Amino acid sequence: MIGIDDPFVWSAYVLCIISAIGCMVYGLLKWNEEDEEELE
Amino acid sequence: MAVSIPLLGMVLLIYLLVVFYCGWLAYKKTKNVDDYMLAGRNVHPYILALSYGATFISTSAIIGFGGVSATLGMGLLWLVFMNIFVGIFIAFAIFGSRTRRIGARLGAITFPELLGKRFESRFIQGFSGALIGLFMPLYAGIVLIGGGRFIESALGINYDIAVLILIIIVAAYVITGGLLAVMYTDALQGSLMIGGMGILLVLTYMKLGGITEAHQALTDMAPLVPASLAAGGHMGWTTMPVFGSPIWWTMVSTIILGVGIGVLAQPQLAVRFMTVDSKRSLNRAVFVGGPFILLMAGVAYIVGALSNVYFLNERGMIALEAAGGNIDMIMPEYINNAMPELFVIIFMVTLLAAAMSTLSSQFHTMGTAIGHDLYREFLMKGKVGRTIPITKIGIAVTILISVILAYVLPISIIARATAIFFGLCAAAFLPMYTGALFWKRMTRQGAIASLLTGTFTSLFWLTFVHAKEAAPLGICNAIFGTDTLLSGTWTVVDPILIATPIAAIVAIGVSLFTEPPTDEHIDRCFGNKRD
Repeated sequence: MIGIDDPFVWSAYVLCIISAIGCMVYGLLKWNEEDEEELE
Repeated sequence: MAVSIPLLGMVLLIYLLVVFYCGWLAYKKTKNVDDYMLAGRNVHPYILALSYGATFISTSAIIGFGGVSATLGMGLLWLVFMNIFVGIFIAFAIFGSRTRRIGARLGAITFPELLGKRFESRFIQGFSGALIGLFMPLYAGIVLIGGGRFIESALGINYDIAVLILIIIVAAYVITGGLLAVMYTDALQGSLMIGGMGILLVLTYMKLGGITEAHQALTDMAPLVPASLAAGGHMGWTTMPVFGSPIWWTMVSTIILGVGIGVLAQPQLAVRFMTVDSKRSLNRAVFVGGPFILLMAGVAYIVGALSNVYFLNERGMIALEAAGGNIDMIMPEYINNAMPELFVIIFMVTLLAAAMSTLSSQFHTMGTAIGHDLYREFLMKGKVGRTIPITKIGIAVTILISVILAYVLPISIIARATAIFFGLCAAAFLPMYTGALFWKRMTRQGAIASLLTGTFTSLFWLTFVHAKEAAPLGICNAIFGTDTLLSGTWTVVDPILIATPIAAIVAIGVSLFTEPPTDEHIDRCFGNKRD
């Protein structure tokens, strides 16, 4: 895949991109989440 | 250097002027201790994320690790994944929000103070401060050397003067503007780094004919792996090394786990979680932080590995050969030869920014560790009211120590400085820090035992067993007449993999056998449902 044969290496390549996108999605979903922690 | 010096000088001058403007803005806004130590606890999420990322990624992460990737291959991308998943996501979303909340509740203004107050122990705060004050200069020393060498080669200035210039510039804004100045300039430097690394990735893939084509060409180079590396388990630049081989252990234990997990317990990074006013800011910072690390570490390792293809096409040799066998010269050699002149200049400023952003945070953390944690809270039992002047003196003293270390220690030890510091922090702080945030039953005795066990096991392992430090240090050889006490695979297993689990077990064991903290104290730290 993408010119890399070893699945342990291309999966790292893909995971890097997925995790960066995941960070963006997480940030967006929680963009306006209020702090419930102060109420605990 | 192939670039025009006047043009580079002009770009650098503009850059420095903007840096000073940021420092001046911060100086104007700094009015009290919380401002100086914690940037007023209401930093913008974008500034938090870039400041965290730019501090995390130093010049050596781009040049040094880029070179390691050029030598060992793309398996290093696991480190990038760890950096994003552990270093950003887990750090901000899980550790960060609790650190912020408990820090604010206890009024802690440094990382050692957070631990000290959580476990009601001045010893923990003082010892942690001393540990940072003693060992962080090593880490700052290597960043200083990198920055000094860069100025020397880029501007043709004498190395000693280059180091001096770098210190004066960074010290000026750190000492006057405190953490606010550090974070503002970090954010500026981080933005520059995004531009520089983004362009580098695009130009590299374009030059090598596209993403898949470039990777395929690198895959096809597997038969060119030098015999010495192949004997260590290297099977090609797009293949993981042989499982259990020395190169596999280096890659997995030191680089991927050591640096990947060690980041959680870095005092200069953890303190940043206390600079924002809400969990929401931390979540928003994750949005910026993830892609930032991908662009920094990810691009450096991908481009580093792919430089092999470029050098094969242009000179018929692999990158390590093209750089004369010096891993640290691979990235500069590639960029100077493969990139257009204007980009070389942009990239030089990027690198200077990376060095300065890491240095500034190190100086600030070392200064607060010595001035606030060790001197004021531990030695003076919190009596002295002049925290800021003492911290400023602490910053100046630790800068001096870093410079002296950078001159005195042999390069073979300094080169290990980042790994030594990350490993030591992970072993000494990570179990205690994790317990402080997530385990209410953890006791002061458990924390102290874990701190001491982690510190001394880590130091023992790197002095007597882990060959990469033990051999250049020479202490083991002087005492026992042999480089390392153990042999075989043990000598390539990083201290972090030994010392951190032992410290964690000690923390749990001792805590279970000692008196739990009082309910009042736990309520004070974590809050309770009634308030």
